[in-house]
Amino acid sequence: MAYHGQKLTDSWRLAVLALIFTVFTALLVKSLHRVQVVQNAALTRDQVRQSVRRVQVPGARGRIYDRNGVCLADNRPSYCIAYYVEELRKPGKWIRTIDAVDADIDRLAGVLGLPREISRKTVERHVRQSLPMPLLAWRDVSETVVARWAEEVGSFPGVDIYVQPERFYPFDAIAAHVLGYVKRDRPKALPGQRIHFYLPEMLGRSGIEQQYNGQLTGICGGRLIRVDARGYKHAVWEGTPAVDGDDIRTTLEIRLQMALETAFDGKRGAGVVVDPRNGDVLAMTSSPGFNLNDFVPAPSVAVWERLNSDQERPMFNRALQGTYAPGSTFKPVTALAALKAGRISAEESIHCDGVFRLGTMRIRCWDTYGHNDIKIREAIEQSCNVFFCELGHRLGYDPIREMAAAMGIGRKSGIDLPYEASGLLPSDEWKRKNMSEPWRPGDTCQIAIGQSMLLTTPLQMAMLTSVLANGGRLYRPRLVADGEKGCLVRELDIPRAVMNLVRDGMHDVAVSGTGRRVRIRGTEVAAKTGTAEYNAGGERKKNTWVTAFAPFEQPTVAIAVVVEDGISGGYTVAPVVHDLLVTIFGEPPPEEGGAAGANPVEDEVFGD
Amino acid sequence: MIELKDIVARMRRLNILLFSSMAGLCVIGVMFVYSACSIRENPEIQIQYMRHAETALFGLLLYLGVACTNYRKVIKWSWLFYLFCLILLIMVPFFGRKIMGARRWIFGVQPSELAKLAMIMMLAWIYGSERKFKGFVYILVSAFVVGLPTLLILVQPDLGTALVMVPTTFAMMFAANIAPRWIWSFFIIGVLAASAVLGMIYAAERIEMPPERQKRLREATCLQPHQIRRLEAFLFPEKDLYGSGYNRHQSEIAVGSGGLHGKGYLRGEQYMLGYLPPSVASNDFIFAVLAEESGFIGSLTVLLLFLTLLVPGLWVAHCCKDNQGRILCVGVMTLIFSHMFINIAMTIGLMPITGLPLPFISYGRTFLLTVMLALGLVQSVSVHGRVAVRSF
Repeated sequence: MAYHGQKLTDSWRLAVLALIFTVFTALLVKSLHRVQVVQNAALTRDQVRQSVRRVQVPGARGRIYDRNGVCLADNRPSYCIAYYVEELRKPGKWIRTIDAVDADIDRLAGVLGLPREISRKTVERHVRQSLPMPLLAWRDVSETVVARWAEEVGSFPGVDIYVQPERFYPFDAIAAHVLGYVKRDRPKALPGQRIHFYLPEMLGRSGIEQQYNGQLTGICGGRLIRVDARGYKHAVWEGTPAVDGDDIRTTLEIRLQMALETAFDGKRGAGVVVDPRNGDVLAMTSSPGFNLNDFVPAPSVAVWERLNSDQERPMFNRALQGTYAPGSTFKPVTALAALKAGRISAEESIHCDGVFRLGTMRIRCWDTYGHNDIKIREAIEQSCNVFFCELGHRLGYDPIREMAAAMGIGRKSGIDLPYEASGLLPSDEWKRKNMSEPWRPGDTCQIAIGQSMLLTTPLQMAMLTSVLANGGRLYRPRLVADGEKGCLVRELDIPRAVMNLVRDGMHDVAVSGTGRRVRIRGTEVAAKTGTAEYNAGGERKKNTWVTAFAPFEQPTVAIAVVVEDGISGGYTVAPVVHDLLVTIFGEPPPEEGGAAGANPVEDEVFGD
Repeated sequence: MIELKDIVARMRRLNILLFSSMAGLCVIGVMFVYSACSIRENPEIQIQYMRHAETALFGLLLYLGVACTNYRKVIKWSWLFYLFCLILLIMVPFFGRKIMGARRWIFGVQPSELAKLAMIMMLAWIYGSERKFKGFVYILVSAFVVGLPTLLILVQPDLGTALVMVPTTFAMMFAANIAPRWIWSFFIIGVLAASAVLGMIYAAERIEMPPERQKRLREATCLQPHQIRRLEAFLFPEKDLYGSGYNRHQSEIAVGSGGLHGKGYLRGEQYMLGYLPPSVASNDFIFAVLAEESGFIGSLTVLLLFLTLLVPGLWVAHCCKDNQGRILCVGVMTLIFSHMFINIAMTIGLMPITGLPLPFISYGRTFLLTVMLALGLVQSVSVHGRVAVRSF
């Protein structure tokens, strides 16, 4: 046959081929070693990056309690109807899944008898951006809706009840400004971690909810989801569990708070009750208010528009942000400054003929006929304008300003709430800068009776009153106590005799002076009324004040209440304070024949 | 009439390394085709591993049958087989079934795979016969024999087949010592042309130049735009990870995240999550699945199995006492080697992506049968080639 004589091909060529095969295979081994062993960590990271999604899960928000453990802000389960879009997944393009979900929502809306809450756009956005998360089609539905859904469960695959915690305020509008409201928002990322999806977290937007948001919030937990190339959930690992937020116990006392708000009933203004021994805020209200539960889960458009366009500005916390001229409630400051400086003694009297004259300026006393010769204790009791104008004129502005500043006027009290106003304690410098006028002696007289440029917040007045109540200690007001002892801002250097004289004067106010209506049976009260005129669109209106503390010897409460557009402090505000004091201290039944006690307010009402 | 005793005698002359490494690779193939298909929703695709196993068993019968047949008789009829393949290839564009943009199937088989074996057999027959002509004639004849089916395959389109036929032809010519000067010049010209093309694409991307010159440079490569994109994806893998570089990037992640020990059988994440496209996971990218699940140790095992197949194959050639058998062995071994090298190299980004199956492991029944037939011929060389024409 043909191959007999044929020369065989060289075997070395086969060896060369074998060598080439081996060398190339070794090359593959080397490359595989590089990819699989050397670059293993980097490529594993690449894989995790493309397939692992981090979901942040917030912890339960802490509750807010009053000082006795009554819950003021709680969490309640809220039932939502949720679509798990992945279960409705349709093969092919995304748009088919979106169509299917959209049609299913329409169908379910018919069954539940609810209007659609989410638009097709929302569905689209959800499918594209947060597919593994439940799509909440109806939030916070009623039990009847849940029951109706339960009957139809079988015909709606991929739909389920999703329970999420929702804020709940058991007392609705009570202490609304202090507690504040929450909004659902995207949680903050933990440092060094990238979140892909999140369950919205509650974020405090005002009041304590905002101030103590960090404590109430707790620490977000993480859940890891592995998704496939199209974004569908493949597996879930529970990562770190969420840590629930801390509960907060406030210094508020719900009984007092309710009494204060009830006493306000329809009036516009603000009231603050503090404990003069340590600065605890026992009650704080601003009227008109709003219902906190209207903000859960989010305020409806109607509610939001009403709250923001309302002339009375219900969202505005007047106790903290409202600034008013203190009127006669400022007179004790002038008295203290003058007595301390030795410009007047307890026995020295000033003549009041019903009007104070300085140059061309006239300041009228509320008593047209004048108080005649009047001493300082009586001047406080009767709230004589002429006396304090004269006193201020004699004293000069600086001692008054120093005393007022020492008692916390003109700067933020430092309460643990956001957006506090600082008020205004004017000075020569301030006046030159803002009004381009030098300080005039008339200004001093005006300030001495708490008028003109002076502006204070009700909270500042409450703290000022508590300085008078506790004999000279200014505390930082607080809503969350970090201990029994208050946070002392400063101890005023006022001789005991001076302090007692002013306190006695205030005691007389409540007994026989302008604040008689404050008086309650069984407890000695000290008070000061005030009326400050202001110009509201050409119309002269009056802000009316009462500051008070009780019991007189060992005060446990200091109160400042302002009512806008009132008649006078003694007439408009004193009954409010009276009711409040009755709630705090109780009132024994009237004694037989104690007519004066039973009906103490029978005379004129314009006393100021 | 062949007697049983005779069959047993022939079986005893089978190369046992060649057989066992092939069997091992087939078992691995069934395992990982199962792994890659088990997550698919289509039940027909889910049972691909069964069809792979059936084909392997059927292939084994063919293998043993061919091994018992004298290759010299078979090779004499290779022109008939070649003609048959040519006819099928010509029919494909008219009657073939189109899958994923390419028309490759006819009557349930891929003629392009069968043609590879047919070409090798033809070349072995031509080169192994008595040399009657000058080297240049052999070059022309080889160019015709290899070129005609390759052109038909290229229009399917299927670049991979052309890609493996070039080294296979070269290796066979080298082993047969056909026109060495021509081979070397072709080889050098080929290397220069390839580096020129790559160099031009590289320059167009990396060297700053006005856009119109960039465009002209790319046109000068005479390649299709999609081919240029693939080469770019190979040269600059980080350029377009979600477009042309996607498969390459995902397969590299799969291989790399397997690590030393792998993630465990049926635990591969890349194909399970669909990042490695499921349509290619069981065939062209089966090695990515294997490497992810079995790690560097698994990939090494597979490479060693291939070596224990390739080296004994060449040993069989060495033991063979006639040129046809020798050259046949060289052709088959180079074909398997080229497939293996190109497939694994593209999986880990050493080469541009070309759709080539990994022998024995990738799902693809025609190709599996083809390589088993080819190995059967090599075994036949082992059985019948050691003694030069004694009893025939």
